[in-house]
Amino acid sequence: MNTDPSTGATEPLCQRCESPLEPEDLRCAVCALPVPISPLADVQQAVTQILRCNGCGAAVRYLAEIGAPRCDFCDSVMEIETPEDPVEQAEFFVRFAITDEQARKALKRWLGGLGFFRPSDLQSRAAVDALKPLWWVGWMFDAEGTMTWAADSNAGSRRADWAPHSGQAPLRLHNVVVPASRGLTEVECRGLIASYDISNVATQPPHHDRATFEQFAVQRSAARKIISGALEAAARNRAVPLIPGARHRKLSVAVLPTRLVSRHYAFPAYVLAYRYRDKLYRAIVHGQDATCVVGKAPISWARVAAVALAVIALIAVVATIATA
Amino acid sequence: MTASPANEPFHGLGCNSCGARLNVPPDERTARCPYCASPNIVMRPRADGEDPTFAVGFVLPDNVARERARKWIRGAWFSPGAFLRSDVTAIRGVYVPAYMFTAEAHVKYTVSIGENYVVIETYTTTDSKGRLVTRTRTKTVTEWRGLSGQWASYIDDVFVTASKGLHNTELEAIEPFDTRALKRYSPKLLSGWIAEDPSMTATQCLELARAEAVGQIGHRLSDHMPGDRHRGLKYSTQLVHEDLELILLPIWILAIKYDDESPLVRLLINGQTGALVGQPPRSWIKITVAVLAVLAAIALTVMLGTRGVL
Repeated sequence: MNTDPSTGATEPLCQRCESPLEPEDLRCAVCALPVPISPLADVQQAVTQILRCNGCGAAVRYLAEIGAPRCDFCDSVMEIETPEDPVEQAEFFVRFAITDEQARKALKRWLGGLGFFRPSDLQSRAAVDALKPLWWVGWMFDAEGTMTWAADSNAGSRRADWAPHSGQAPLRLHNVVVPASRGLTEVECRGLIASYDISNVATQPPHHDRATFEQFAVQRSAARKIISGALEAAARNRAVPLIPGARHRKLSVAVLPTRLVSRHYAFPAYVLAYRYRDKLYRAIVHGQDATCVVGKAPISWARVAAVALAVIALIAVVATIATA
Repeated sequence: MTASPANEPFHGLGCNSCGARLNVPPDERTARCPYCASPNIVMRPRADGEDPTFAVGFVLPDNVARERARKWIRGAWFSPGAFLRSDVTAIRGVYVPAYMFTAEAHVKYTVSIGENYVVIETYTTTDSKGRLVTRTRTKTVTEWRGLSGQWASYIDDVFVTASKGLHNTELEAIEPFDTRALKRYSPKLLSGWIAEDPSMTATQCLELARAEAVGQIGHRLSDHMPGDRHRGLKYSTQLVHEDLELILLPIWILAIKYDDESPLVRLLINGQTGALVGQPPRSWIKITVAVLAVLAAIALTVMLGTRGVL
């Protein structure tokens, strides 16, 4: 059992990997060790038992179609202990730190700084159609453990470009965010994650006039799979600096996580729909940092074509000079 | 009423509904009363064994299992006619005992990693006019480098049979079972179904499970290796924090005796996913006729081709 120093509450831990267990878990989600059970009542001698319907008293049998015993006479269904698979809810809400107006200005500023290949009038002609504050959701996890890796790199290579390397390192991951949003794309979420200040969070949804709360789109069993995938991706990132040499390929990692703890967060953002030349685009403004904006913007194909022609012309001139 | 010895049927058990005497085989956990058809669950003293920890409930209903079995029999074209007419109503849903093994694996390995590179080599040949010419070509060569390292991961969901009646290779053939649908064992799951007790000891099954886990580790290690290819993979495995849990797996079993002289044919269907395994008998007469027909068709085609008909 693990005791939370702030509340004094105890939560059960897996005996193998020391990750916290949920009350309904039959097995540890990280290492698959079964959760100990209170043994069934000891039977002193062989007897027979008939499972009787609580409603009408008839004998019932387990039905494959519904995955539980059901009475054929009155249709009563008996419950069997199974792992609960609820849709998860946010526990921590990161607060908004910028206003609607600041979000609009942030969008305008972003549109003006997207570079040469955007239309020159993008900033002036883009009109905000809709602005929606929302909390998108994600998991944040900490984990410890061991990571083993193997990869090819150019270090120590001989005739071939590559030489094999392997290694092992302790793994400590802290506050790794895994998006669980259905409304925002993975790329959009990744663009926003780094700028959140999670030191000041609310445990109840903060009051906001128009903000909507996104729900976790996946159930617990699916969530654990996503977190395991993210754990491996994070381990891969940690392994890269350990590989000797300047270049590498074919990196494989194996992770033995312990003490994996995940929390459910809601992150603030503004979703803005803006219109440019009758076409709608979407941008997301960070709910705390007005300089962090991600989204889509139109491309000036005339400018792209002009640059391409200039490059072709330059190549032609160089080729002509070289030939001469 | 006391328990009978483990190898003798329980004669003294009375149906919990009508009181009729039940004859329960020692390796079964359920019995249906022949008089009132009530599904009885046998509750035994725990001294001779353990209760299962988990069970995977049946998902495939009997009508679907029967249809799959029927389709499998009809698809066995080269089987004797009597087999093709076999009755599938005898199919039974059985909770088969198995052990579920999990562990933490620490592996040390050595391997030769092949890194490919391309060389340009010169060779001499004759051109279309018969002259000797020198040409170049690229050739991929593999440079072999030794690598040693460590690998660590959890091993989960290794299932091995705990029933002498079901060979482990048969169980492997109908795996996997989706362990997300695992249920805590409860006699409620067995009501109306046949449930078998383990006939293999945990010690026997542990050895089987370890061997299967080490095999799985070999596959995962192969995927872990860098390079363009590898050979000579050798590894030593240390399994720690091992856990072995008795589990009941849902399997539809159909035993077919299509004639008195032929051996029993057995079909197994995964009661959760519908995956099936079985070896239908072969009719050598049908196979010979088919081969002769193919040969005759080839001969006819060649003959007609020779005579210019085709």
